[in-house]
Amino acid sequence: MEEQPLPAASTFSLMRNTPAAIHRAQKDLQRKLQEGTILSFTTVHHTPEGFPAGPRNIGLIELEDGQKVSGHLISETDQPIAIGMKVLPKMRLSSVNTQGLRTYDVSYEIPVQQTVKQEFPGYVLALTGPSGVGKTTVSVLLSTKVGKYVERVPILTTREPKEGDADEYVHVSPEEFLALKNEGKLATSTCIPSRDEKRWYGYRTEDIDAIWQKKMIPVIITEMNLLQGLSSHYGRRSILSFGLMPPGKSKRQMLSSLLHRLRDRGRDTEKQIEDRLKNAEADLDFFKTRSELFDDVIVNDNVDTVVGQLGGLVLERVKA
Amino acid sequence: MQSPIYLTGTGQTRFGEHWDMSIKDLMEESIDAAIENAGCTALDIDMVIVANMLGEVASNQAHLGAMAASLLPHHPPALRAEAACASGAVALHTACALLESGKAQTVLVVGVEKMTDIAPSKIAAGLMGAADAEKDAPCGLTFPGIFGLIANRYMHEFNLSRERLNHVSARHHKNGVKNPFAQFRKEIPAEAISMSPKVADPLCMLDCSPISDGAASVVLSTKFESPIKIAASQLATDTLSITDRPTITSFAATKDAMSAALQEANIEREEIAHIELHDCFSIAALISLEDMGFATPGNAIALYEKESPMTINQSGGLKACGHPVAATGIKQVIDVSKQLKNSKSSYGLAHNFGGAAATCGIHILSHA
Repeated sequence: MEEQPLPAASTFSLMRNTPAAIHRAQKDLQRKLQEGTILSFTTVHHTPEGFPAGPRNIGLIELEDGQKVSGHLISETDQPIAIGMKVLPKMRLSSVNTQGLRTYDVSYEIPVQQTVKQEFPGYVLALTGPSGVGKTTVSVLLSTKVGKYVERVPILTTREPKEGDADEYVHVSPEEFLALKNEGKLATSTCIPSRDEKRWYGYRTEDIDAIWQKKMIPVIITEMNLLQGLSSHYGRRSILSFGLMPPGKSKRQMLSSLLHRLRDRGRDTEKQIEDRLKNAEADLDFFKTRSELFDDVIVNDNVDTVVGQLGGLVLERVKA
Repeated sequence: MQSPIYLTGTGQTRFGEHWDMSIKDLMEESIDAAIENAGCTALDIDMVIVANMLGEVASNQAHLGAMAASLLPHHPPALRAEAACASGAVALHTACALLESGKAQTVLVVGVEKMTDIAPSKIAAGLMGAADAEKDAPCGLTFPGIFGLIANRYMHEFNLSRERLNHVSARHHKNGVKNPFAQFRKEIPAEAISMSPKVADPLCMLDCSPISDGAASVVLSTKFESPIKIAASQLATDTLSITDRPTITSFAATKDAMSAALQEANIEREEIAHIELHDCFSIAALISLEDMGFATPGNAIALYEKESPMTINQSGGLKACGHPVAATGIKQVIDVSKQLKNSKSSYGLAHNFGGAAATCGIHILSHA
């Protein structure tokens, strides 16, 4: 959204914009940075001095923790606002005082309403975690344990095949990949830049549909970008989403256990392992920052336990 | 009330735009009128209480107690009371406390507001001081905006249509025609209300009380008798910010003040013949009637769609009379006393609140 220019304002109406008042308001920002639901809304046609000229949409919002706030409502589209809509917090320039002090405050964005799929497509089992945590091992064991009910979805990639690759990849050229993506034939895709080339990864919707046709649950091995794409493509509630974490009490211990596994696997050079560890750190943070994308985050310290847990869940869904 | 408190004198200026009158001139006109029809002289007044909200904002004037006292020949002791739009009720309540304690025997209560001297945007910012400056104001909310939120939620919860809401302001304007002190004395058809310019959706200009100058004064006494007595004087408060409340379609302060006032006056709700309620915005009239128990939640509009034995805002309310904020609470008591004398009924009620009813004052008047 374009930021409208803010008019200069008289000091009187902006007494709230004294540095001390702004400082106090900072303490509240963290609390206000939550998703929420619109309890009521209004359009103020005559905005106070110091704010862009009206009309200005303002909502009374119930935040996730139950507290209420009043806040500026913003929207990328001109869809009508309604009571009960979900909103997302966004930091936005709020006002500028006469000394030029710019105040930022939390605004609430009404996300573009995704076309809600009326039909529930089915479940997808997604395993997310850093390289070397054992996603592939878990998925292979899962196939042997409850193979009647699950099938792995092949990963479409533009990277060169190499020794040690399991049967999990389907290799395509970058041109082919982008063509599929542009035709909307991919459920989700992501580009991971490496040292010398861009590598694309993704999943074809036809592969997933084919598994559903067989009344089975597709198993998808993902990373953070692919998971987000998957969730917006099929809807979050279609995804049985599990995060896999390496064992270890601290982030350092977790990363070191990943390092050992990657070295034992012997597929990558030391340089590649170094890259993978850098990404792994971001993956671990992702479990916390986007916890809503996961049904559970499991520590993979015993593969059999993890597989048993996921297998039980699959049987539950299949029977239901 | 331990000892009876009599309403012995009343007086007010016309509410409206008084560009030729200062805050002091407005006070003087209403004080003179109140003393003239009181059963005592100016020299019998032993305390003055001034209700005012925006003296500093609009007139660069504080210290209004002394200013009012200086209009009397003997300069009695004086103080000022402020509770936003409920300043009038708070000043009356303070006067009752002084009279009950015996500290004073005859008190002059003056409500005054001078709002048209400065730009409407400045007044709007000043009025926003009635809300929580650090919780409500920073997102760009105005007072009409706060009541826009309240109205939208009310219409959503109770399925009230915009067309039905029109009847509130239409009735108030119809009532105001006969009031010589009202700012607007013109009947307005219901359908014109929602066709007026939007102020804060779903509220339009004709849902909002106007910006006005005006003053109203009463003389209360335990010494000088009159047919009108203060049967109850009660205050109640709620959170300043609507974000701290469990609901915004009902005002707890009104409920609390009402039940305490009925108990103090020792009467039933049904005995009340006239009410003047705080219709700063049309939606506030409906919520107030429900909180006072005259209608069940969501059904107060029915009282505006047909005539009821109890009169509601016969003066025209804040909508037609004008709303010089601190004068309103005093003016309501004056109107109720006139209505009681006229109808010879026993009880009437004045309901005055500040902000989004963070302060509510209810006064019940009885007529001998």
